[in-house]
Amino acid sequence: MDIRFPYKIHIQFPGDLDYIPPVRKFVSEMLQVSNFTPRFAYRSEIIVDEICNNAVNYGCVTNDAKVELVCEIKDDHVDFQIKDEGGSKEHIRRLRQAMHTEEDKKDDIHKRGLGLEIVKMLSEKIDLEIDSRNLTSIHVVRKREDIEREPKQ
Amino acid sequence: MASKNLKIDIKSGTISKEVATIIFDGELDAGSINKISACFDTIRKDGKKYVIIDMSKVSSVSSAALGELMGGRKLMIELGGDLVLAGMNLEVRTKLSLMGANKIFRFFNDLRTAVNAYKWEFQHQADAIKLSFPSNLKFVPPVRQLVSRIAKQKGYGNRDSFRIETIVDEVCNNAVEHGVQGSDDDIDMSINIDKDKIELNVINVSDPQKAAALKALLKTSMEKQLKIDDRRGRGLALIKMLSNKMSVDFSDKGTSVHVTKVREE
Repeated sequence: MDIRFPYKIHIQFPGDLDYIPPVRKFVSEMLQVSNFTPRFAYRSEIIVDEICNNAVNYGCVTNDAKVELVCEIKDDHVDFQIKDEGGSKEHIRRLRQAMHTEEDKKDDIHKRGLGLEIVKMLSEKIDLEIDSRNLTSIHVVRKREDIEREPKQ
Repeated sequence: MASKNLKIDIKSGTISKEVATIIFDGELDAGSINKISACFDTIRKDGKKYVIIDMSKVSSVSSAALGELMGGRKLMIELGGDLVLAGMNLEVRTKLSLMGANKIFRFFNDLRTAVNAYKWEFQHQADAIKLSFPSNLKFVPPVRQLVSRIAKQKGYGNRDSFRIETIVDEVCNNAVEHGVQGSDDDIDMSINIDKDKIELNVINVSDPQKAAALKALLKTSMEKQLKIDDRRGRGLALIKMLSNKMSVDFSDKGTSVHVTKVREE
């Protein structure tokens, strides 16, 4: 039974760090059965780990907080979207700051953690959306490296 | 000498009648022992048996104060509860670990996680996980591994986790096999896991002819024991054997298989 691209995986789990190792492994295994390389799958696992950790640590405030991860898997790239209920104003300010750090302004990275920097390093594109109720959504695109692409004009 | 560097705030009744949250603000030094001891006396008199200490505003912990916390924990354990530490900064957490406190106390990253751990342990609160994935046999192994890993992560033993994995494998294989071939409809799975049991609900869009065959198979398996040489229905028999409760609902929306597996270990 051949896999038809694109396809989506939705997973919603409690805002608890216990769930992150099984979820990141799951995404990695889904990518490997979809013929992505182990290297691509492992690097995607790192992205999933970082964005899920951020969502649980900073985006879950209430006791029954949930995190939703949507992976859209296409034949040449993967879109990850993570949604959480949004953290405090301070966390959101730091998140916005981390998203917009310029290459020459990375001196304070260690003060606020390396998570998003690693995600930026491993992905092609990263966007942040925060709605009026502080619900936070991070969208990450990672292209596969083992296929030939059209040269840029 | 009483410590001037420690403020203590006790909150009761917000989580449950038997739970108290203590917020320490400042240094837990040798001079704070009397304050800590008095705090535990108040909690014991109030009939609390589970204590969550919010350590997020604590800058240091002396060995004498740690001893006092151990005394408080012993008291709570004797009452059938526990005393846990939440929200420590990295420095305090590292120092306490070096003193071996991580082998005695349970540490939690924040108050919210500590409260959820209490609810899981003492109120049997279930965690809900929802998953949807395309109907394709190639995706079944990662899905069954996911559920098995979640069970292990939540403290289920290897045997229970493996049995849960087998149930998920059979249910998902059936969902793909009896679903509409080549459709874009996903398989929806919901998992409710608590300290004592795991409940699975798997919904797929069924092919009407295959659903009729499944109904016939279910009827057969209800009426007689399947024999080893029966070609069809072994999966269902296996699910029934490994689980404590299984039911199948047929509706216009699709086929829904509900399985409950009670924790044995």
